[in-house]
Amino acid sequence: MNLSHNYLYAAAMLLFCIGLYNVIVRRNIVKKLIGLNIMETSVFFFYISLGYTRNGVAPVAGAGADPTRMVNPVPQVLVLTGIIVAVGVTALALSMVILLHRKYGTLDTDQIMRMARQEETQAAREEGN
Amino acid sequence: MAIFMITLPLLGAVLVSIVGYLKPHWLPWGALVPLLASGVLGCMLIGRIPSDGYISYHLGNWSVPLGIELRVDYLALFLMLLICALGLLALIFSRRYIVKEVSAGRMTAYYVLILLLSGGLMGFVASGDIFNLFVFMEIVALSSYGLVAISANSRAVRAALRYLLMGAPASIIILLGIALLYMATGSLNMAELAGRIGQSGYREILIASFVLFVVGFGVKAALFPLHLWLPDAHSIAPSPVSALLSGLVVEVSIFGILRIAYSVFTPHVGNLTSATSNALAVLAAAGVIFGGVMALLQKDLKLMLAYSTISHVGYIFLGLTAFNAEGLTGAMYHMLDHGLAKACMFLCAGSFIYIKGFRRIEDLKGAWRQMPWTCFAFGLAAFSLVGIPPTAGFISKWYLILGNVKAGNWVYVVVLLLGSLLGAFYCFRILYYMFFQPGKEGAWTPRPADVPPSMLIPIWILAVATVFFGLFSGLVIPSLLKAAGLLI
Repeated sequence: MNLSHNYLYAAAMLLFCIGLYNVIVRRNIVKKLIGLNIMETSVFFFYISLGYTRNGVAPVAGAGADPTRMVNPVPQVLVLTGIIVAVGVTALALSMVILLHRKYGTLDTDQIMRMARQEETQAAREEGN
Repeated sequence: MAIFMITLPLLGAVLVSIVGYLKPHWLPWGALVPLLASGVLGCMLIGRIPSDGYISYHLGNWSVPLGIELRVDYLALFLMLLICALGLLALIFSRRYIVKEVSAGRMTAYYVLILLLSGGLMGFVASGDIFNLFVFMEIVALSSYGLVAISANSRAVRAALRYLLMGAPASIIILLGIALLYMATGSLNMAELAGRIGQSGYREILIASFVLFVVGFGVKAALFPLHLWLPDAHSIAPSPVSALLSGLVVEVSIFGILRIAYSVFTPHVGNLTSATSNALAVLAAAGVIFGGVMALLQKDLKLMLAYSTISHVGYIFLGLTAFNAEGLTGAMYHMLDHGLAKACMFLCAGSFIYIKGFRRIEDLKGAWRQMPWTCFAFGLAAFSLVGIPPTAGFISKWYLILGNVKAGNWVYVVVLLLGSLLGAFYCFRILYYMFFQPGKEGAWTPRPADVPPSMLIPIWILAVATVFFGLFSGLVIPSLLKAAGLLI
């Protein structure tokens, strides 16, 4: 279990941590979404490298195909499904980002929270009057 | 036949979108049809599933190692019927209510998303293959992000984006957990996994996989430190949507952990899962107290109900981690009771908003003069949530406490009782305001002028159901005990 055997998995986990860091730390919403996409890509990479065999060939059945040398196709199917899900989530998130940008004019989460808080104190003040 | 229960709402969503484009007047009734059909099919399935068996359906007739299997056992059917019932009642309530919060251009989207949500929830519960579980979980998640944001005012979009930014990484964490499981065992089918996990030599990978599942599903189920998205999302969503989210989505995520912890990592491999389960129990106990205390401090009715959901999620987890049949039965019955009662309370909150636009608890003083039906139903649901004898809440808390006593977890018994006490405080405070305090001048009319019947009937069906399932719990509890005993 040393790194020379598992370098693919280690790389995938490094990408996962980079993605998670961006989702948490960045203030710009689009950067957060890019971080989310990096996380998703890293997990897909992890799946594909699960099925890898050294000097493997594509898993296409046919005359003269040798099943023992083929790469495992099951994780690839899972990754295809995962990519569809990731695209759907990104599309929904970006539509929400557009709505927020229209309302607040900025993509910075700190500024949005500040403006929202000002709105709410103003609404509370007007309601009290 | 179980497959139709799942596919009818999903296909219905597509058809409803076309209906909504051509004839918007038919929308509310058209949306009811697929869920009604699913409900009828579910009732037909009730007699067919013995409490210690299951129905298995292979999609496309592909056999197990290659194909996807649907496994409907007693627990799954129990939840599927609850999903159909709550979905139908929320749709009936929405017909009048939703005009107030969703603009006319988005009505079709609203009904489509509710049908997708219901279909996704049923597929999640019935799934026998772990990747199928993930796909249906994503359907549920995407529909709920959309439903929280449906009213498109800035608070709703912010809450939905926060929900998304916590829920999507959680889904990816679950996907990584599935990857680790596949790496250690080579199979994705839950029944096969249950066998292979015991024989697999990869201890650390399996422990890591279980931890990832708990964290991922914990975010979706609002386990204590991962609950930050829930108060905003559930209080800002339109009331029928809040009812479905608090009553179903959160609980189905807990059911996800139930499936993982009992059907995949069976209690035979307790050495792999015990440390994580203990940590889960501690967090759940903290959540019970945290949710109760925060609910006491809230001024907005729907925010209070959202924090109360966090508390009850903690109860259900404490039932799961007791690892005996009584605890598991208590957890499942509490899912039923919390779903019914919390949905009833959110729909009552919706009624108050519909009639008067009031959201704050203080504004509810003296509400019973104008809206006696709503107030009484809210009172019944509150009694059930606190756990007062003839209601279903009492039965579920009885079994939860019994399960923890049998397991010897006395600290959690004390936590459960404390949580009930806190629940009594925040629920009865509202009842006191509604019934025993005089209202502000001119706030309420002296003669009853309650919500229209199409909104009252779902509220009262839910309120009566909480009492019904308390009085006649003998219909369900013995079968639940047997089904739970099988899993242990």
